[in-house]
Amino acid sequence: MKARTTEADFAALIRHAGISPSEQQIAELYEGWAWIEQMLERLRGPSPRPREAEPAHVFVPLAVVEDGR
Amino acid sequence: MSEVPTIAEAARQLARRAISPVELTRAMQQRIERLDPAINAFILQTPERALADASAAETRFMAGAPLGPLDGIPIAHKDIYNTAGIRTTAHSRLLADNVPDADATTVAKLRAAGTVMLGKLATHEFAIGGPDFALPWPPARNPWNREHVTAGSSSGTGAAVAAGMILGGTGSDTGGSIRGPAAFCGVAGIKPTYGRCSRAGVLPLTYSMDHTGPLAWTVEDCALLLQAMAGHDAADPASANRPVPDFTAGLRRGVAGLRIGLVRHFHETDQKVNPAVQQAIDRAVAVYRDQGAEIREVTLPSLFEFQACGFLILVTEAFALHEPWMRTRRAEYGRTMAARVSYGGLISGADYVQALRRRRELCAAVAHAMEDVDLLLTAAAATEATPFLPEPTGPQLDKPGFYIPFNVTGQPAMTVCGGFGEGGLPVGIQLAAKPFAEPLLLRAAHAFEAVTPWRERRPLL
Repeated sequence: MKARTTEADFAALIRHAGISPSEQQIAELYEGWAWIEQMLERLRGPSPRPREAEPAHVFVPLAVVEDGR
Repeated sequence: MSEVPTIAEAARQLARRAISPVELTRAMQQRIERLDPAINAFILQTPERALADASAAETRFMAGAPLGPLDGIPIAHKDIYNTAGIRTTAHSRLLADNVPDADATTVAKLRAAGTVMLGKLATHEFAIGGPDFALPWPPARNPWNREHVTAGSSSGTGAAVAAGMILGGTGSDTGGSIRGPAAFCGVAGIKPTYGRCSRAGVLPLTYSMDHTGPLAWTVEDCALLLQAMAGHDAADPASANRPVPDFTAGLRRGVAGLRIGLVRHFHETDQKVNPAVQQAIDRAVAVYRDQGAEIREVTLPSLFEFQACGFLILVTEAFALHEPWMRTRRAEYGRTMAARVSYGGLISGADYVQALRRRRELCAAVAHAMEDVDLLLTAAAATEATPFLPEPTGPQLDKPGFYIPFNVTGQPAMTVCGGFGEGGLPVGIQLAAKPFAEPLLLRAAHAFEAVTPWRERRPLL
């Protein structure tokens, strides 16, 4: 699977992160980037979330049982 | 007493004075000396500390005042758990000389319960980067076949328990790092509810996905260790301020009348499993039905949804933690660690927030799906333990795992041995319960374990 981000743009992302992998390491990271792009698309969703869709700011598990039955 | 007792068996033998804590500790140390050179479960052994702990336990037993079922029990800690005055390296050259001043809260609790510390255990670097042969210490090997991995990141703990070098140990789980080694090493491992056990003093991989918990040979042993580890800790901002139930009291109540939700699509559609794993799941379904549980089909969001959410939260938080060193000392990390965490630096803040919004949605979806069931049953891994590869690899991003859904939701989940594949390697099954329902989870896992023969089989070493 090929990433939609160009290699040049990917290198810019790497520079922006302030890390300095070697050329080979960048190439390896770029290989996996296509899968990350797919994950990002899933998270952004086909349509925008309503404004009321809050993030899990303070992580509290939902559906708590009281007595651990 | 069997050559390698369970914690529960050892506790009974210690109470009857059939064996002393010092004798038990020395027996474990002899096993470590004989077996660990080929398994590499330990980064550091602490023989003097172990004998001091054992002697103290022996004094208490002789005085008729043992501390409880864990008094005199030899365990070890994953080398991300701070141990006062004892090197804690995260299996990384970056912390090769790190000696903490204080115990992690859970280490202190287990010490207060009388456990004997045998040493510090191998882990994937900083709980994410492994297995990697280029690190200062070799990775742990699977005792069932030493050419195969243990899974990680609680790799040393899984290996040491399976090989009978420790009776139980600590692990951590951010995306399966307790349950994965438990499955691949054929032992029991529980990731409790997020906040059930303190994270204070445990080197973090993330803030919102890290869980601490035990691995041991049996479910009962996990329950005994969890009993000591659990509880509110003001030093951990995420610590749940809830009473700790008795995790062992209802262990033998069986599963009659319980409703178990089989998440079939996880292993038949989302990420297909091999025949041995399918057989283990089918066997678990049959066992639970025979025992009077009702099996219902449950549909959750796909594994790919949980993977996207969980992986991106994980790497982003991990990068934030490691950012200073990733910018200035990246070459000193192992290749696997550096690669995995680097992705976190490439994710925008907006996308991290989207992942958190998705997280709340996924929590709600699972809560809704579980309204009419008490537990979930899923595969643990798609295959048995895989062979070591000649070069470390990056994350297998095309293959979503079965563990991360329950790191995303924070609900308790555990793996137990579900059988063996063709090569004699174990396969696991995974159970998950509603938040803070560890007693029910342990009860169901024990019910399966008690009627299957897998606990009678140890690796031939």
